[in-house]
Amino acid sequence: MDRMIKNAYSMLSPSLIWLLLFLVIPVIYIGVISFTTNTGFGGILYEFSTEAYTAAFSSLYAKVLWQSLGWSLLATVLCLVIAYPFAYYIAHAGKWKNLLLLLVMVPFWTNLLIRLYAWIILLNNHGVINNLLMKLGIISEPLSLMYSPFAVIIGLVYGFLPFMILPIYASIEQLDRSYLEASEDLGASPVKTFLYVTLPLTFPGILAGIIITFVPAVSVFVVTDLLTGGKLLMVGNVIKDAFLIEMNWQLGSALSILLMVLVLLSIVIFMKFTSGKDRKFLI
Amino acid sequence: METMVQLDNVSKKFDESYAVENVSLNIKSGEFLTLLGPSGCGKTTTLRMIAGFEKPTSGSIYINGKKMDNIEPYHREVNTVFQSYSLFPHMTVFDNIAFGLKMKKVKKEEIEERVNKVLKMVQLADFGKRKPKQLSGGQQQRVAIARAIVNNPSVLLLDEPLGALDLKLRKQMQLELKHLQQELNITFIYVTHDQEEALTMSDRIVVMNAGKIEQAGTPYEIYEKPQTRFVADFIGETNIIGGNVTEIKENYAALEFGSQEVYVPNNNYQTGEKMFISVRPEKIHLHTVQQEGKISLKGRVKEKVYIGSLVKWIIDVGNGNEVKVQQSASDVEDLALDTEVFVSWNPDNSVVLKQ
Ligand SMILES: Nc1ncnc2c1ncn2[C@@H]1O[C@H](COP(=O)(O)OP(=O)(O)OP(=O)(O)O)[C@@H](O)[C@H]1O
Ligand SMILES: [Mg+2]
Repeated sequence: MDRMIKNAYSMLSPSLIWLLLFLVIPVIYIGVISFTTNTGFGGILYEFSTEAYTAAFSSLYAKVLWQSLGWSLLATVLCLVIAYPFAYYIAHAGKWKNLLLLLVMVPFWTNLLIRLYAWIILLNNHGVINNLLMKLGIISEPLSLMYSPFAVIIGLVYGFLPFMILPIYASIEQLDRSYLEASEDLGASPVKTFLYVTLPLTFPGILAGIIITFVPAVSVFVVTDLLTGGKLLMVGNVIKDAFLIEMNWQLGSALSILLMVLVLLSIVIFMKFTSGKDRKFLI
Repeated sequence: METMVQLDNVSKKFDESYAVENVSLNIKSGEFLTLLGPSGCGKTTTLRMIAGFEKPTSGSIYINGKKMDNIEPYHREVNTVFQSYSLFPHMTVFDNIAFGLKMKKVKKEEIEERVNKVLKMVQLADFGKRKPKQLSGGQQQRVAIARAIVNNPSVLLLDEPLGALDLKLRKQMQLELKHLQQELNITFIYVTHDQEEALTMSDRIVVMNAGKIEQAGTPYEIYEKPQTRFVADFIGETNIIGGNVTEIKENYAALEFGSQEVYVPNNNYQTGEKMFISVRPEKIHLHTVQQEGKISLKGRVKEKVYIGSLVKWIIDVGNGNEVKVQQSASDVEDLALDTEVFVSWNPDNSVVLKQ
């Protein structure tokens, strides 16, 4: 047994070293920087200071932080609502399954930045959607779809939908069909079978989907950059600007650490809420 | 007794081949009926059509006199015990068993009472709070049965429910199931490919082969009076002897068997006709001297297998033919290999088979 564990570690060591070099050390470094003193223009004086955190908790940044969490949460919920039926359909699509899965994954081959430009063309005042609605006479003035939280949510949902679809698809695909038959055999209609059997048994997929959608969504900055031209901010924008424009590494680091803590905290709370007592709330 | 389940010329085609072909069957209320046959003969498919998980390609199924053509599984008065149990892993044993009653909107107190009653019946009274994963195979199997019978189904379908259990537990569960069936007077349609299980438990056995019914009858009829080569061969051990009728003597027809002859009761047989008969090894006697009477084949001891209460012999009767003989251990004379012996049986104990 001991030897197996040793073997496992030695086989894992390249990836462990990788993780250490490019994840653990940078995070520690950022943590350290967040408590140093800012001497201006990216200068770092290794003297303890909580100035960056005081700034980060100021109402401006705090608002952006909450706003980011709120938008990503909403986008995650929307992704879930869209992705579940979609994943369910793919899992039961028979011979079309592989093609549909491929279509879900195609967007990964293009940078999100470029794909978001397509949404600018769709959403802007003279864009496809406004033109169409005006031609149909549904509206007389163009709607300002861009530069609004609406655009941000669209961008987030669009960008992260595949992250939700894939794990849910996997869990539906793996679901043993005989459970569904057992349920019908015991008198449950398809709707009840879905609620009492399919949904709880695919819950691990939903959970994974929520986490891997929410986490990158909350820190993304290209969506707000492109679809609101920087008018609306997510915490990713603020962090990027702190590092690159204000050259305030302490503030950027402090915001990064806060974001990380908040995300971890929300995941922990979420898991506690959903996995405790065997997810009785579903039954 | 009235008919509970009727299969009227039912066929099921998958792709281009028949899994079940022209099966007609009347199953009486309270009957323990077993579908028996080798792997892939269509037992599960037949059961799944009765449960409603598969639609027959042609023919109709009636349950309690009602045509089931367009009735969904959740509206049928049958419950299934699945081969893999299919207990819901996210529910406790209690919730698993209560599921069917909850779906029927039975009152909470009544659910409690009925679930606890069946839990007692299957001797799992203290296991209600466990998850299926925390039970042994035999316990899971009993939960699966409890989950089905708690609904008081008219018909219980069981697909090799004991397949995953070890021999001893299986024997014990066979008895328990049989008692349960008699006690509750539920119609059982039971699938197995274990012939011994079928013989001990069933009121009636339906032997299937390649999607068709070979023979249906009581265990006694199936074992003692097999009608086809397949049934004779599939159920228990037997000697199948094929030969041409050489002459008709009084009430017996003589068949050539290598260079010797055996006799069967005559039934309008013609000389020259090719026939097959089955003789069970336990109906055959072994002697050291030539016997008076119809059949007495000369041979040599080729193999002897001692299996406790029984001794099995293989006797080489020449021309490449062998006869299997089985004696109870107390009757055995200790014969060495290659000893000259004579095998005999009463012609009335042989069964003539359809081709
Ligand atoms: N869904 C299906 N699609 C295609 N062919 C099928 C399907 N289900 C069963 N078959 C075929 O139908 C035939 C009968 O299968 P069935 O499962 O009824 O056999 P069985 O008698 O239950 O065998 P076993 O003892 O191995 O369980 C087999 O040849 C099988 O390959
Ligand atoms: Mg089967």
